Amino acid sequence: MSARFPRAVDRGLAGCHVCGRVAPENLGNCPRCGSALHIRKPNSIQRTIALMSAAAALYIPANVLPIMTITELGDVDETTIMEGMISFWNTGAYPIAIVIFTASILIPLLKIVALVWLCAAATGKIDPSPSMLGKVYWFTELLGRWSMIDIFVVGILVALVQLGTYMSITPGPAALAFGGVVVLTMFAAMSFDPRLLWDQLDRMNNIPNPETALSLE
Amino acid sequence: VRRRLSILPWPKPPGGPRHSVCHFCDTLHDAFPVPEGTAARCLCCGAVLYQNRPASLVRATAFSLTALVLMVVVHTFPFLTMDAASMRTSLSLTTAARSLIEEGSPIVGSAVALFTIITPVILACGLIYVCAPLLFGRAAPGAMFVTRWMSKTEPWNMIEVFLLGVLVSLLKLAKVADLHFGTGFWAFAALMLCMAAAVASIDRDELWDRLEVAKS
Repeated sequence: MSARFPRAVDRGLAGCHVCGRVAPENLGNCPRCGSALHIRKPNSIQRTIALMSAAAALYIPANVLPIMTITELGDVDETTIMEGMISFWNTGAYPIAIVIFTASILIPLLKIVALVWLCAAATGKIDPSPSMLGKVYWFTELLGRWSMIDIFVVGILVALVQLGTYMSITPGPAALAFGGVVVLTMFAAMSFDPRLLWDQLDRMNNIPNPETALSLE
Repeated sequence: VRRRLSILPWPKPPGGPRHSVCHFCDTLHDAFPVPEGTAARCLCCGAVLYQNRPASLVRATAFSLTALVLMVVVHTFPFLTMDAASMRTSLSLTTAARSLIEEGSPIVGSAVALFTIITPVILACGLIYVCAPLLFGRAAPGAMFVTRWMSKTEPWNMIEVFLLGVLVSLLKLAKVADLHFGTGFWAFAALMLCMAAAVASIDRDELWDRLEVAKS
């Protein structure tokens, strides 16, 4: 890297994460909106890893336990997310099967992998290349909410299919676990600070980081 | 003076030159005004720093008012009705959340209510409360508090996800039952577009700059 653009951290400035106002970090609170000012999100890596591990743990019951129970003429049938997707595939509804597979199985898994990757890059375990990892981060933040679709489908089916003894649907324990996965990965993505990737790049290029210099004083 | 403030495209708050920091790579920029309809991008990583939206305040107010009216329509008119086994059941936003709560998943049901009913109401009401007085160059009491909470609730507005969920459920049920869209459903589709337009119609930096100017 030849030229490096001036960073806010070089001058002890912080951009308020709520209103965007740039102010000296030692003020403590934003002069405009009163939110706490931080050069970097506090304990970003630790929080991200903690939330992400909890999400990864919940991902197992979310896929193993039934997401809903269908009672048809006294026949009780418990379906998991995967079984729901396969039944769509078998009936020829390929686009829907692909939507469910992407939203419920692929996106949560990719989010967890992406967050591990980002944390590893920000701590220098693997090579940080911010331009590429930036897209990974953007993807994680943008697509996370769409996983919620399965929870909504369960809610809609439970509300509509209440046909007495003929057919009824009740939510299963995986709904709670899966909702937890979505919410926790969303919080994990919010607590990750992409600027740590650039700090790591500076450290690798032996550019002195004013923040670490300050803490050494 | 107050009347003219509202027509000004994007007033810069007093107190010398302002900076803008890229939220992604921390690069420090001087915050120059950009023409309407364009965005300022980071020199280092290319992320959008701020955007100057055309007719921002008018659009934010208009779209959020429309969204609020549509919310009333969504909750009063039938959303979706299903005829199966000589029975008729109907769906609305509230029944989806309520039946989850009643059928043994109170936490999931509350989350659904939060993401599809409460968050859009907070966002639409908040935008009206903040932007409508700003049209006249005034800041409503507690406007900064409201704006701060709006930015916190924004990621949890999931009405577009719910709409996709309705479509998936439709395909799931189409084989076993007769389904009819009601007025509420079309209002919901319009609501989704209005909410997206309302949130996108004003940039965060512009809203805060206007609030700061109106307060001073």
